Amino acid sequence: MGLEQLMPAIALMTWQDLVMIAIGLILIYLAIAKNYEPTLLLPIGFGAILVNIPFSSAITQIDPATGQAMEGVLNTFFNAGIVTEIFPLLIFVAIGAMIDFSPLFRNPSLLLFGAAAQFGIFMTMIFASLLGYDLREAASIGIIGAADGPTSIVVASRFAPNLLGPISVAAYSYMALVPIIQPPVIRLLTTKKERLIRMSTAGSYNKKISKKALIAFPIVVTIVAGIIAPSSLALIGFLMFGNLIRECGVLNKLSLAAQNELASLVTLLLGITIASTMTSDRFIRVDTLIIIALGLFAFIFDTFGGVIFAKFMNLFRKEGNKINPMIGACGISAFPMSARVIHQMGQKEDPFNYLLMPAVSANVGGQIGSVVAGGIILTLVPLFA
Amino acid sequence: MTQAIEKTLEIAGIGIIGVFIFMVIFYLLIRALDKFLPYKEEVSTEGNSVDVETEDDTQN
Repeated sequence: MGLEQLMPAIALMTWQDLVMIAIGLILIYLAIAKNYEPTLLLPIGFGAILVNIPFSSAITQIDPATGQAMEGVLNTFFNAGIVTEIFPLLIFVAIGAMIDFSPLFRNPSLLLFGAAAQFGIFMTMIFASLLGYDLREAASIGIIGAADGPTSIVVASRFAPNLLGPISVAAYSYMALVPIIQPPVIRLLTTKKERLIRMSTAGSYNKKISKKALIAFPIVVTIVAGIIAPSSLALIGFLMFGNLIRECGVLNKLSLAAQNELASLVTLLLGITIASTMTSDRFIRVDTLIIIALGLFAFIFDTFGGVIFAKFMNLFRKEGNKINPMIGACGISAFPMSARVIHQMGQKEDPFNYLLMPAVSANVGGQIGSVVAGGIILTLVPLFA
Repeated sequence: MTQAIEKTLEIAGIGIIGVFIFMVIFYLLIRALDKFLPYKEEVSTEGNSVDVETEDDTQN
């Protein structure tokens, strides 16, 4: 009896499988040792190991005796949770329950940075298209710039399921790398004088917000967004539903469950299910490297869009009422990572400059902006493709 | 320029403008909600102030 019969997994293991197992180990290392998005990168990393051992029963295999497909549990999860979009949408309910929109009510003009910092999505789409990707694939790659994992998964699973693995890994990895990606780009685009601008934190940031307004906000946003772009409703609606559970005041148990148990369980399933697409034959390709590079490009141009928009707004603002352009970079969805990074950058320039409150407002705007951008892409691409 | 790139440019243009339009609408919604549903003081039946919500005169 040969090795092939005794240990078929070892006999048939290719170098590509070994590379994927190494990638899985690296993701697990980054999650545990560096604390980079551990809730997602750890399941993805472990899943990458699970699916790249030959004959793994975790994914669908063809029975050599009968020629019939034996569905693996991860493929079952994939068909039930990703193809149907259930997992990412449940994550939106959880995220909605975690978001406090009151910083936006205190300074609503900062909401606009949530639009400006989506610039990277569209720039990346154009570049991906120039590199030869078709419209659906280019849109899926561009959405990495939303800096929002569930939005990336929804768009990619609908338009380019073949690219879902690398897109998800890029989206979550770069979200974790915001403290490394954003500061150099911001320094390149701003002068020291601009980085020293202080924003008034008194007054508006102490303003109390009516509970009724906070309850009405998710309902009104859902209705308005639904009327303008019904295709965006699954994304925006679930986010706002989660937020309504949080703000209504009568579903505190559900709100806590959504923020904790639901978020944890679905994130776990989402991560390990995404890994089912990370088989060596699908992942070890030049495409993966290009997508990872384009993802970085998307995050850089998001930061660029936000910072340049802040500088543009300053052209129309009086001295003493200027916006610190670093705040523009917080318009991405990575919350509260981006706000924290900008606050720390501000403190490094001037220890008495407190940018945290405006940074959080812009960052909350970014959470809405990324979902809106995802909804717009879901609406537009089928019209043009 | 291929047709695919032209379409992508068109989507990118409409997309970024669309996101700004949405955000401006949400900005106006927030201003409207803040105006029509201002923070008010809630007083308990015993006359004690509870979880105070006040008309915020210091809003800016």
